[in-house]
Amino acid sequence: MNTTTVRVLYIDDEENNLHAFKASFRRQYEIYTAISAAEGLKILENVPVNVIIADQKMPGMTGVEFFKSIINTYPDPIRILLTGYTDIEALADAINHGDIYRYITKPWNDLELHNSIKNAYDAYKAKIDLRNKIAELEKTNDELNRFIYSISHELRAPLVSVLGIVNLVKMEDLYDSSGEYWSLIETCSNKLDYYIQKTLQYYKNNKTATDLSSINFKKLITELIELYTYTDKSTNFIINIDQNEEFIGDAFRIEVILGNLVSNAIKYQNVNEENKRVSIDISVTSYGADIAINDNGVGILNEHLEKIFTQFFKGKNQHGSGLGLFIVKEALTKIHGKIEVSSNVIDGTTFKITIPNAKFDKETK
Amino acid sequence: MLIDDNEVDLKINAKVLSIANLFEHIIHFKSGESGLTYLKKHIHHPEELPDLILLDIQMPDMNGFEFLDYYKRLPKSFVDSCIVTILSSTLDFGDIKKAEANTYVAKMFMKPLNPKELRDFLHLL
Repeated sequence: MNTTTVRVLYIDDEENNLHAFKASFRRQYEIYTAISAAEGLKILENVPVNVIIADQKMPGMTGVEFFKSIINTYPDPIRILLTGYTDIEALADAINHGDIYRYITKPWNDLELHNSIKNAYDAYKAKIDLRNKIAELEKTNDELNRFIYSISHELRAPLVSVLGIVNLVKMEDLYDSSGEYWSLIETCSNKLDYYIQKTLQYYKNNKTATDLSSINFKKLITELIELYTYTDKSTNFIINIDQNEEFIGDAFRIEVILGNLVSNAIKYQNVNEENKRVSIDISVTSYGADIAINDNGVGILNEHLEKIFTQFFKGKNQHGSGLGLFIVKEALTKIHGKIEVSSNVIDGTTFKITIPNAKFDKETK
Repeated sequence: MLIDDNEVDLKINAKVLSIANLFEHIIHFKSGESGLTYLKKHIHHPEELPDLILLDIQMPDMNGFEFLDYYKRLPKSFVDSCIVTILSSTLDFGDIKKAEANTYVAKMFMKPLNPKELRDFLHLL
């Protein structure tokens, strides 16, 4: 017993050929025949056909024309062109525009045609299998992402409770009552919270569709600095923003990118440096935004410069999550931006970013 | 009035509020339903009704937004005199936007509750 039925549609304006084809192959395949392209289309609309065989020379519409016409509406069936004479032009056209799998001359040889149909069906199956696999993988990936998302949320709720208790302990003046135990709990909890927030950021960057809006860099940078200097105000910021053009971009991702870089610039300051400094230069044109963030902090070793954007890479003695710059890079990729980094003792560490202005894209389109 | 399905958080936040000494009475409920039942029961006794509600978003059965749907149908005299704020640990962009957009939500606080932030908010009123 053949487990799968292969559905073959044969279109030819000569009724004799249709009969002959049916007679030769009806035992092996489920055969549908049509006397014209229009009738063939009707069958396609109603039956999920695997292989289509069409005669080239038909009145009204040629085989190649027919294949071309269904390339978008029925891309899946594998196409075989039958022709009574060797027409090099039709052949070239068929290959270039009709997505033809085989080209067979008339009168056909039963065995040759049979093999072609068999191979065509295998190609069809491979195509469909591949598509199913992709869909399956996408689904799994999606589920995994959703799992990460919900677990991060579930993990965070009790963690925030712990931080709430630490706050209470502070309010009741018990913070220093057990040596440094409370401050250790607080440090660990904050670190865990940081990891969870970064994980969520990474998830959101992966999932969220690009959402364009107008961005005021001065406002954004001011907000970010306020947010990250909340606990430590020892760093001096020199900000130079030149924005006379409207900038349209993905606010969420740009915030993630700049937020991570600003927070890094603050976090990786030299503890002993008296004049902690971070300079931010932004210049916006109709093409894009050029952003440079420079700090005189601890710097990055030359041999590490290549690796800092990889997931979970951490410098020795650094207490980061190994996710921040990875997320920056991922987010930039999503919005077609670029990042460069340089670090040396004299100039400090500089991150240079270029983000295209979506306003320009829109106008040129 | 505190509404939160998480008992630990309920305890912590009730304690934070009492230490901060911002309110005379603190009442807490483990679900939106029980909070609502209390409000309905005392609706004609204004002295028993809260001036401020701190509401969690993610709760089983009735979440914070569903609570607000019922809340807004309470008599106008009460709804106008009461301030509803959200107190949640959510980082969900959608939830945050939804809370900010809700006309009945005066402010969104993030857990852990910072008493100074709450005090500043109350001073502005």
